[in-house]
Amino acid sequence: MKRLVIIAVVLFMMIPVGLRAQLDPVSLALRAYQNKDLPKARELIEIAVGDDNFNGITKTWYFRGYIYKDLFKESKDTKIKKESFGYREDAIESYMKAVELEPQGELVEDCFNSLKYLSSTLYNDAAFALDSNNFKTAQELFDRYKEIITMTNPDMDMTQRTIEFNLYKSSKYSQLFDNPREGYDKEEMGQQVIAVYKKVLNLDSNNISANYNMAIHFYNQGVNIIENMDYEQDFETLFMIQAQVMDLFGAALPYMKKAYKLNPYRKETLVGLSGIYYGLNDIETSERYQTELNKLDSNQ
Amino acid sequence: MNTMNTRAKFKSMYILNFTKYTEWPAAYKQGDFVIGVVNDDDLAKNLEAISKTKKINSQNLVVKRFTSADEVTKCHLIYIAGKSAGEVEPYAEKARQFNCLIVTEGNGMINGIAAINFVVVGAQLKYEMNKALFKSQDLIVSNTLENLATKVIN
Repeated sequence: MKRLVIIAVVLFMMIPVGLRAQLDPVSLALRAYQNKDLPKARELIEIAVGDDNFNGITKTWYFRGYIYKDLFKESKDTKIKKESFGYREDAIESYMKAVELEPQGELVEDCFNSLKYLSSTLYNDAAFALDSNNFKTAQELFDRYKEIITMTNPDMDMTQRTIEFNLYKSSKYSQLFDNPREGYDKEEMGQQVIAVYKKVLNLDSNNISANYNMAIHFYNQGVNIIENMDYEQDFETLFMIQAQVMDLFGAALPYMKKAYKLNPYRKETLVGLSGIYYGLNDIETSERYQTELNKLDSNQ
Repeated sequence: MNTMNTRAKFKSMYILNFTKYTEWPAAYKQGDFVIGVVNDDDLAKNLEAISKTKKINSQNLVVKRFTSADEVTKCHLIYIAGKSAGEVEPYAEKARQFNCLIVTEGNGMINGIAAINFVVVGAQLKYEMNKALFKSQDLIVSNTLENLATKVIN
């Protein structure tokens, strides 16, 4: 509340006296903002940005940013995400415009702080969107988040964040692939799992999770085919299925080997390698990894 | 990670196919169809699961697990897991007292021990066969089984 009053006072003082005297839309919007009448403040600030006398002034946009940020804060916990997201986007655009008008101005730091706050909500909402399997929205929110961070903190390396986001995204695709749901094509989900893990590996080929999970994705597909095989299959079909399964186990192997190379003491990887080699009918190698796993177990 | 025994399922399916393309003497076409399993619990479990719903040549499928050669009784087919002839032969010797199709998986088993031996070719499970051992057990093998084998010993 104290901060709000200070901002309002500072803003009011910053508005040229001439404009204040005429009760211009920015001043009126500020007054409405002080009175916590956000709908009125919004209406008036929109008049200001539509007026050539005011839309070239940094403070108009800076103030607009605050109004929309507060509208966003008020609405963000409601179920109408479209409205809330719209307010946030208007706030972001306003702060960006304020910075664009005066890149070295005294309001830049405050604009950046607000943008950082808004970007953090974008990241959280991207994760929430993934929770509800809304992949397109999640990606849009994450891309916007990255865009803002790149602007406000150009030195920040976004690689790790991008990897985290994509690992979570691929885990959601994987869930839908393993437990198909109406409205989601299983085949497409499977392709997305691979595409997203590949994206992670392009960013960091030494990412253990991506290597391990990619291997598991291929391996489990092979195992699922075997589990669902009908015992009545003739030789011809049996050979065909076996070839298909071996291709999947073969596809899993390099990723699991890479995960092992990155950490030879990870139990899951040893289980994975033993299982893949066993599936590939290389019993000797499978047993070698099983022995390593047993040693690891006995040392703990 | 799904930890099912992937090979056991394939082996079960091979074994069911072996029974389709082998003919047993008339006396074996009545009563239960018995498959013996030695040293492979996962395979035995798979076959036991099949026995609940499937029949072989109109006969009820019964799976018997043998833990010593002395336990081996009359069966139509016996699968003996074991890496060396020394491990496998005692069971095979007992099984030869019956018209039993002996199936193994190991180097050299096809030379005088098993009528069918699982082999790995290019990462795939395949089989080789010894026709003479079919004949000595009074079993008739179909051309299909012979044609699909990676190696046939006459």
